[in-house]
Amino acid sequence: MDRTYRLSDYFTYLYSLYLISRKHAIIYSMSDVEKLKLELKELNSEYAKIKTLPPAERGEFGRTMNAKKQAIMAQIAAAEAEAESANVEALDISAPSAPNEPLPVVKRGTIHPLMAELDRVIEVYSSMGFDVVESRQLDDEYHMFESLNFPPEHPARDGYDTFRTAEGFIPPAHTSTMQHRALKKYKHKLDEGGEIAVVVPGRVFRNEDVDATHEHTFYQCEGVFVSKTATMGQMFGVLKHFFEIYYGQKLKIKTQPGYFPFTEPSAELLIEKPVSLGGKGGDWLEMLGCGMIHPNVLKMAGIDPEIYHGFAWGGGIDRLAMLKYGLSDVRYFESGKLDFLEEF
Amino acid sequence: MRISLNKIKSYVKIPDGVSDQELIERIGSRLVEVEEVIDWSPMYQGVYIAKVISCEPIPETHLHLCRIDVGSAREDLRGDNGLIQVVCGAPNVHAGMLAVWIAPGSIVPETYGNENFKLSVRKLRGYESYGMLAGADELGFDNEHKSIAEIDPKMAEPGDSFAEVFDLNGLILDVENKSLTHRPDCFGLIGFAREVAGILGEKFIEPEVFQNLDAKIEPSRTAEVKVKITDGKLCPRYSCAVFDLPDNQPSKYLTLDAVSLAKAGMRSIDPMVDLTNILMLETGQPLHAFDYDKLVAVGGTDQPEIVVRSAKAGEELQLLDGKVVQCTADDILITSNNVPVAMAGAMGGKNTEIDPSTKRVVLESATFSLYNLRKTQMAHGIFSEAITRFTKGQPATMTMPVLAEAVKRLDVEVTAVADDYPGKEKKSVVKITTDEINGLLGTNYSTEEIVNTLENVGFEVEVLAGHRDASCETIRSATSEDRRLAPVTTGCENAGSRKELADVETSVATLKVTSPAWRTDIHIKEDIIEEVGRLLGYDNIELSLPEKPFIEPEIDPMVKLKQELRRILSERLEMHELLTYSFVSRDLVSKVGKNPDDCYEIINSISPELQCFRSEIVPSLLDKVRENLKAGHRDFTLYELNQVTRKSGGLNREQVPEMKTHLGIVSLGDFYQLKAEILAMFRELKIAVEYRALSAESAEAHPYLEPKRSAELLIDDAVVGSFGEVKTSVLHKFKLDPTVSTFELNLEKVVGAPREVKTDVKISKFPSVERDLTLRVAGDMPFGRALNTIDNYLSKSGMYYAVEPVSIYQPEGSETKNLSFHIKFSDPTRTLNSDEISAIIKNIAVEVAGIGAEIV
Repeated sequence: MDRTYRLSDYFTYLYSLYLISRKHAIIYSMSDVEKLKLELKELNSEYAKIKTLPPAERGEFGRTMNAKKQAIMAQIAAAEAEAESANVEALDISAPSAPNEPLPVVKRGTIHPLMAELDRVIEVYSSMGFDVVESRQLDDEYHMFESLNFPPEHPARDGYDTFRTAEGFIPPAHTSTMQHRALKKYKHKLDEGGEIAVVVPGRVFRNEDVDATHEHTFYQCEGVFVSKTATMGQMFGVLKHFFEIYYGQKLKIKTQPGYFPFTEPSAELLIEKPVSLGGKGGDWLEMLGCGMIHPNVLKMAGIDPEIYHGFAWGGGIDRLAMLKYGLSDVRYFESGKLDFLEEF
Repeated sequence: MRISLNKIKSYVKIPDGVSDQELIERIGSRLVEVEEVIDWSPMYQGVYIAKVISCEPIPETHLHLCRIDVGSAREDLRGDNGLIQVVCGAPNVHAGMLAVWIAPGSIVPETYGNENFKLSVRKLRGYESYGMLAGADELGFDNEHKSIAEIDPKMAEPGDSFAEVFDLNGLILDVENKSLTHRPDCFGLIGFAREVAGILGEKFIEPEVFQNLDAKIEPSRTAEVKVKITDGKLCPRYSCAVFDLPDNQPSKYLTLDAVSLAKAGMRSIDPMVDLTNILMLETGQPLHAFDYDKLVAVGGTDQPEIVVRSAKAGEELQLLDGKVVQCTADDILITSNNVPVAMAGAMGGKNTEIDPSTKRVVLESATFSLYNLRKTQMAHGIFSEAITRFTKGQPATMTMPVLAEAVKRLDVEVTAVADDYPGKEKKSVVKITTDEINGLLGTNYSTEEIVNTLENVGFEVEVLAGHRDASCETIRSATSEDRRLAPVTTGCENAGSRKELADVETSVATLKVTSPAWRTDIHIKEDIIEEVGRLLGYDNIELSLPEKPFIEPEIDPMVKLKQELRRILSERLEMHELLTYSFVSRDLVSKVGKNPDDCYEIINSISPELQCFRSEIVPSLLDKVRENLKAGHRDFTLYELNQVTRKSGGLNREQVPEMKTHLGIVSLGDFYQLKAEILAMFRELKIAVEYRALSAESAEAHPYLEPKRSAELLIDDAVVGSFGEVKTSVLHKFKLDPTVSTFELNLEKVVGAPREVKTDVKISKFPSVERDLTLRVAGDMPFGRALNTIDNYLSKSGMYYAVEPVSIYQPEGSETKNLSFHIKFSDPTRTLNSDEISAIIKNIAVEVAGIGAEIV
């Protein structure tokens, strides 16, 4: 064989040297993962030999190769995880931001806690089937007193410390100012064989000196129920049910006598302080005034008191919110202070 | 009102086994709210009755060195002679007297609960003094420090516990008057005790004064006293008695009455006045004693001629407390021959005041119109014990029996009596069935239970039909005096079979209930039902729930809208909901350039700050910005949802002011920021709105808005609100610098607005084309005009498209500006090729050229 070297062969040789060196250079510069991947590739090509082996040896060969392959793959996974972790810079989790970065801003709005409570009360009553009508903030003597069976000039009116406008209008001192309207509005339900079941939330006003427990402006929710068979037992049942849903637990109730010209009999309802408010049993909270609607009140709304009976109640929302949030000063509610709102 | 539990027990036998605690709880649940239970017994621990055995003056001082006998008390402190040494500075201390001794280690009762001054053994002028001999003031019964208290030897022995002698160990209840507004009878101890018997299920034994309601006083002589009531409505009854008062010197002893009065929060004056007060506390009936001679002298008559009449406006009278009042026409006056001597029901006149030298008395026992007295109370600010009772409506029946009791207790010879009684009323009789009672309460009380309950507190009950016991043989008519058998007409005659009988046994009884004379509050069936329910205990009523069909409740749309807005504004748009007062100052209204005279004005406002009912929400919120900035808050937006009204808004069908619910927003951002938020809010509500430059009307309605930087908002072509930046001059008035924008929205016009529902989702199956377009336009070209031009063209093209503003760029000093838009369009039916796309862009260029813009 003519073994003359040609230049081209020489270059081929050099090139092959280059390739080898490059390969080594690559291998040198390779990360562990890449080396392992290369190994895996070589293993795969070796695996192709399986076709050339006698069938009897193929099984053993396949198993051995597979085991090697699994081992390499596990090494790759571990190496990859390590490599990833090595590249991650650790944070100071106690810092509000990265160095030289602006602080992140998370803005939030707030719903007034009193309104959140009012909405919750409305939600519970409406879930019990009560219609909801809103109270008005300027009313007259007729709705505030007369339609509620307060005789003109009756001293019982004194208890309400009403404001008055020059025209004789009254910013109502209780949501009962809507009772007459609610009765008239839903009277048709009685005529249709149904019942009146309505609650009236609203803002009310009393002319009294403001201190930690007294506000001249506050919120109440009134309730009215009328049917042919309404009883006082039902009234206490409904109210107990309301407070149980509202506080999410079984509650004990008790009563004390009350006097309201628009209900007869009248009572005040107390509940045993719920666990969520820190109650340990034996503490009682006065929640609302209630009673069987006075026949004169029904009559004035065009409802025959010989056929229909009803009960009504009214209680403060401020008190519910104060109890819930452990507030000791009612004046925060109308203070307009964001510092206060941001507590919620 | 303070009620001594021991006094109650003197009228009612409390069943064995009922503790004070249980009794108080029952009173609280069935009679009246108990605000406080006062226990005075710890106050008087270590306080004893002592006899002063010797009393030597200490030279060169006003002091005396006393040796006292304290019986078996405090052996540890007694000296060899069995006596205890006390130094006393009171002028009335003398050997032989019974005094009150406070032992060392005890607290002076007057200071109990406050500074808790504890006595000790200390040296005074070289003499050891053990504790002190106490005055009525130090014992807590008087305001003046005069002398030490002297005890009637008939009452006590040395060493007796002071608290026991003066009945101070029992509890005192402070009850809430409000819930007894309709119960004049309960403003007397006897009436209160009657109710206590009732709630214990016991028959009340009426004291004599309530047993003999027709009591009369027979005068011993024929002397006369004339009484004339000008109007029976003002004064239903006026009774009085004239008698000689042998002695009205205040007792030198500390009396039981004085202590009783102190327990009720009153003060001992003199025997005559004390008796009137004691009787008032017992019966609820106020009495007033006039000095006879002064009364006659004032009237210039020989014998008392009393005229009860309305006051003339401006008429003057000096009252017992020294104040001179100008009467109003609603006041009622007691006059002596027309000269005012007392403001009826409220307070006596100075000119006829009794004093220790009073020889003859005219004792008044009357009742007056509670309506007039309420006005008197309000007009003159008089809140005496008497007027508190009269304004509950004291029954006319009781004037004479209480007067008779008074003269009996005084043990005087009555020389003249008068009793004018124009306002005699019939006893109230109510017919009611047991079914009506049980039906309203939701109970199952038997006729027997109901009848007994009512009779226990003095009602007379006659069973007209049905029967009170469980068999036909015992059907009876029942009255409080006797219960004799009486024929009945329903129920039993046909009770043949056992079953029918059983029906009858549970059948309904009709009751004829006659109220006792002192119950002026019983008129209708429900009043009787209340008595039965309350006395038997509301807490014994079985609870139930009404049956109601499953029908979705109807919720006021405004309530719903407000709830929805709260979620959008607070939770999505990061605003803060405030509540501010509905009442604002005239000053605030003026500050925002509005006319305070258009606000409803509160005539009895708490302060000028709370004088006007607000007509807008925004001013109240503006008023809250500064303090929140000062508290360190930045970039906040405040809102409030509440009602407003104004006089020019007129009255509604009910003739009451038209109220509107408004949303007010105040933002520390500029117009554009607020606009973006408002539009986002309506997008959430899915209500289509438009806006345009502020009209003259809107500018007038919101004079604080800078018209060049504000807009009005429309729904369905109607203006519903205005928003924009606040005038700098207005901000200065609120001491605010930064840009502040506001929005006042009438929600009445939002609540019913149609909500847009997407009926066609425009997403093409084919690829859409996106391009950024920049238009060069004149500097004064409105952005909206350029946008509309592109929008209109694409809208006509039938393609699906969107145009979004990207930027507005106007270099300093340039007369043009560049408006950049991002447009995206696709054909609903096919993929657009590049020629078609170029044609569209070209067409847009043609369109915008029409308004003088060019694409760059």
